[in-house]
Amino acid sequence: MSIWQRINTLDRRYTYLLAWIVVLFPLLNPLGLPIPISPDAHAWYDYVENEINDGDVVLFTPMYGVSGMPELFPMTVATMKHLLTKDVQIVVVSFWNQGPLVFNTLLTQVDPADYGYIYGEDWIRLGYIPGSETAMGSFAANIHTTVSADYVEGRSLDSFPMMADIQQGEDIDVIVSIETGTPGTPEWMRQFNAPFGTPQITGCIGVSVSGMIPYVQSGQLQALMPGLTVSAEYEILLNKPGLAVAGVDAVSTSHLYVTLLVIVGNLAYFMTREDN
Amino acid sequence: MSDVLRRIEIPIALTIIATLLQVIPYYFEIPALESAANTASNGVLLVVACATFIGVISIIQVHGKRIQRQSEGWYYSLLVIGLSVIMALTGLPFPEAGLGVNNSIYNWLFINVQTPLGGTMYSIIAFFITSAAFRAFRARNLEASIILVAGTIMVMGNAPLLTNTFPFIADMSLWIRSVPNLATMRGVMIGAALGSIALAVRTLMGIERGYLRGGGEE
Repeated sequence: MSIWQRINTLDRRYTYLLAWIVVLFPLLNPLGLPIPISPDAHAWYDYVENEINDGDVVLFTPMYGVSGMPELFPMTVATMKHLLTKDVQIVVVSFWNQGPLVFNTLLTQVDPADYGYIYGEDWIRLGYIPGSETAMGSFAANIHTTVSADYVEGRSLDSFPMMADIQQGEDIDVIVSIETGTPGTPEWMRQFNAPFGTPQITGCIGVSVSGMIPYVQSGQLQALMPGLTVSAEYEILLNKPGLAVAGVDAVSTSHLYVTLLVIVGNLAYFMTREDN
Repeated sequence: MSDVLRRIEIPIALTIIATLLQVIPYYFEIPALESAANTASNGVLLVVACATFIGVISIIQVHGKRIQRQSEGWYYSLLVIGLSVIMALTGLPFPEAGLGVNNSIYNWLFINVQTPLGGTMYSIIAFFITSAAFRAFRARNLEASIILVAGTIMVMGNAPLLTNTFPFIADMSLWIRSVPNLATMRGVMIGAALGSIALAVRTLMGIERGYLRGGGEE
């Protein structure tokens, strides 16, 4: 049996073992590989830094559950930190059932009070609203009838001073959606961007990028943060290296490994094609 | 009377009314209709919220039977029900009793149990991808070769190690994403939207009956 035939019939458990090593090694021993800054990271940073103005109402929506956390949580933390450096009003809501729990985890790492944000005056949590796009439509039409009470204190929204001027979708100045699927950007577009022209920036997992590009090109999405690599670049732009920078070495090595597997697999395929 | 209530025209009429109630206020400003549409939407939210309990009941039924019969892996079912009950109880909205979103057990379970388990499930994809990269991504013909090359460039474009060493990979990756991918996705989206409109029109006209008791019946 030639070497190419051996490769062709290699037990897949060896590729699994190597994958495990290739991911784990840089996580345990950070390699400090260089991270070039892509246009996506610049666009996201510039939008949050320059286009979101003091006094703006930001709808911050973690639209994912635990399965999306490895890829999306770092950008959620970094973006929240960036927003908190500005003088904006932040409304946190989710149309994914685990969204509020994801945000609870975020609060273990970022305390808005450290940035001078007072709950109920500068920021508020509205929790999870079931009903997917219907709920988003209802939320856009009337926030106070869709959500009767806040998530933390269970008080009526009318009792919070900041909510007096935030009554409906039209009062939202920008949406920051970090998401893994449906409901997500297409639903936001239909319920907020189309009727009110609400600008939006979206952070998503790598595989969702292809579906997001038409919205970027049409100008409906002001910025897109696709996956962990761009999150790491954003952390560098923020000068706050965090979870993404810590994990991006593993992204590099694992992607290099996959590329090598594709090349070796195809070489073996062509070298043994006649035999087969 | 019961025959009248079973007439197929009734659910069709309800569907038409519910649909128009949402569609018309989207395009025209009619306060009375807008108010009715909002009330209907809030009703949907209530229905969806109630549906959550069906999920809980279903979990208890499925796993309860497994525990009762002590079938293979029944102890996992016990774990599922046990943790579900603990999460549900500690998450009840009674902050004065120490329960709710700030309850330490509730948060501890989410951060230290559910989150790593979710991450583990997601990361298993990595093993499938490596296996597929080695065995399935083959340049068997022209179409497969194009997909293979484009896919590999996209993978390489996501690795800072490679884009830093070979900047042209990042440019190629960006081009694939912004030109052929954009054109394809736009076509898919427009096609899906036209299909949705056609389905909506057929439903409104009572032609599409697939959603009614198996459909078909005149």
